[in-house]
Amino acid sequence: MTKAAALAGHKNSLRGQVAIIGIGLSPVGKVPGRSPLWLAASAAKQALADAGLQKSEVDGVLAGHAMAAPFHRFSVAFSEYFGLQPTFSNTLQVSGATAATQFNIAAAAIHGGLTETVLVIGADSLLSGLTPELALRSLTESRDQQYEMPFGIPVANTFAMTAHRHMKEFGTTPEQLAQVAVTQRRHAARTPGAQQTAPITIDDVLNSKMVTSPYRKLDCSLISDGGAAFVLTSAARAKALGIEKPIYILGGGECYTHEHIFLMPSLTVTGAVQSSQKAYAMAGYGAKDMHTAGVYDCFTGTVIMMLEDLGFCPKGEGGRFVADGQMTYGGQIPANTHGGMLSFAHSGIPGSLFHFHEVVAQLRGQCGERQVAGAELGLVHSLGAGFATNATTILGTEKTL
Amino acid sequence: MISLEDAARKPLPAPDADTATLWRGLREGQLLLQHCDDCGNVQFYQQGFCRHCSGENLIHRPASGRAKVHSFSVVHRAPGPAFKNDVPYAVLLVELAEGPRMISTYTGGPADEVTFDMDVVLVCEKVSDNITLPRFRRA
Repeated sequence: MTKAAALAGHKNSLRGQVAIIGIGLSPVGKVPGRSPLWLAASAAKQALADAGLQKSEVDGVLAGHAMAAPFHRFSVAFSEYFGLQPTFSNTLQVSGATAATQFNIAAAAIHGGLTETVLVIGADSLLSGLTPELALRSLTESRDQQYEMPFGIPVANTFAMTAHRHMKEFGTTPEQLAQVAVTQRRHAARTPGAQQTAPITIDDVLNSKMVTSPYRKLDCSLISDGGAAFVLTSAARAKALGIEKPIYILGGGECYTHEHIFLMPSLTVTGAVQSSQKAYAMAGYGAKDMHTAGVYDCFTGTVIMMLEDLGFCPKGEGGRFVADGQMTYGGQIPANTHGGMLSFAHSGIPGSLFHFHEVVAQLRGQCGERQVAGAELGLVHSLGAGFATNATTILGTEKTL
Repeated sequence: MISLEDAARKPLPAPDADTATLWRGLREGQLLLQHCDDCGNVQFYQQGFCRHCSGENLIHRPASGRAKVHSFSVVHRAPGPAFKNDVPYAVLLVELAEGPRMISTYTGGPADEVTFDMDVVLVCEKVSDNITLPRFRRA
């Protein structure tokens, strides 16, 4: 679709109407002695300082749920903790896809006049706030109590069964899965604050302990503490504030294909196809136009499947695409350049907010030695719950409007 | 958040208003599928409406118990203390002869003998007075 055609079909869409004007991270990795609310507040303070705004200038808060916090309404608890009385607030819950929905919904709410300036936040302490066993069990608890949980099915297992079937159908190999972990570890080595930076080889991945076949320990994302925050406002207000490099939301899309893994329509084709197609159509750009991407990476095979479903390579070729160096610098789509959840950090919902932080920093040209040269357009794809939930957001610089 | 005590116990299904029939059937050694009398759709799990046509004329019929392994994953690291003594065990995503898919675990042999498209049959395994779980063994 041409850009003009897309725009014609989406006269009222939020394309280019909302900008990210501030980004912030709390300390991430192992952060003992800090509550999820502290981590959220720490990230929010950074994001406001980055935007040059006072907290009194924020009127909206959209949060993700925090497992290590006892609050049913994290966004509301956060507002009290941080000294805000917003007139727009919610705590969204579509598991790992929450991050991209936070951006899409914040943009829609700003564009629709419900709010003017929104703090998008997420923070959790899965490493220090929960014992590893409780953290894992909490993840298991997210599966259905009648048809899945009684069989001892961790959420990892649902993703493992999709990757396993992908290997059977398309000949994807354990070495190709391992390559994702190796590539992202190399990326993390150049990211200040990343949780895991020691180089690893394909053999290291293949020799790490089996968790749930085909996934070994190094195919699995980390368990971390940490939070991220973003300030979003209307394009007009960003301009009025004199923001140096606003990053615009160009498109958003979501898709929810099932709740139970056994009702996933196909184990190897996901709702990321529809969510990304909606986002591309709104943005007026396609996969081939993207300069960088944040691709949800709870497991190595997840990345391979997403590179296919997001349109970066044909179905079934994700393994070869990765082995061929196409997801790193010099390849077709440098992805997860901060190291992703496999190596940078994964503290639950914020895991995918870290992808947003990285893609925005790349589009601003702030990534130093890991900068993707000429990055103007980026995509973030968030997903969760055994591919039950999928959400995509397309971001771009002023040049791409 | 859950307590350490809770984490040490295996979760047992709590039947709800839609699903009492399914669990009663399993206690009697039958896996009941819902057949829609309006459109012919066959579904698992048990619910009040046909997922295809929203019809409410759903008839329970026992499944043949024959199935194929569509995908599987052998768990080596237990999801919490309750499953520690069971590893390695194979979680199966089976496709029943009647069409619907479901999650289960492999029984009657070592986890490493499970393969894709392997023929398996239903085994009703009593785990408490109220609950019998549908598991599968090699056909």
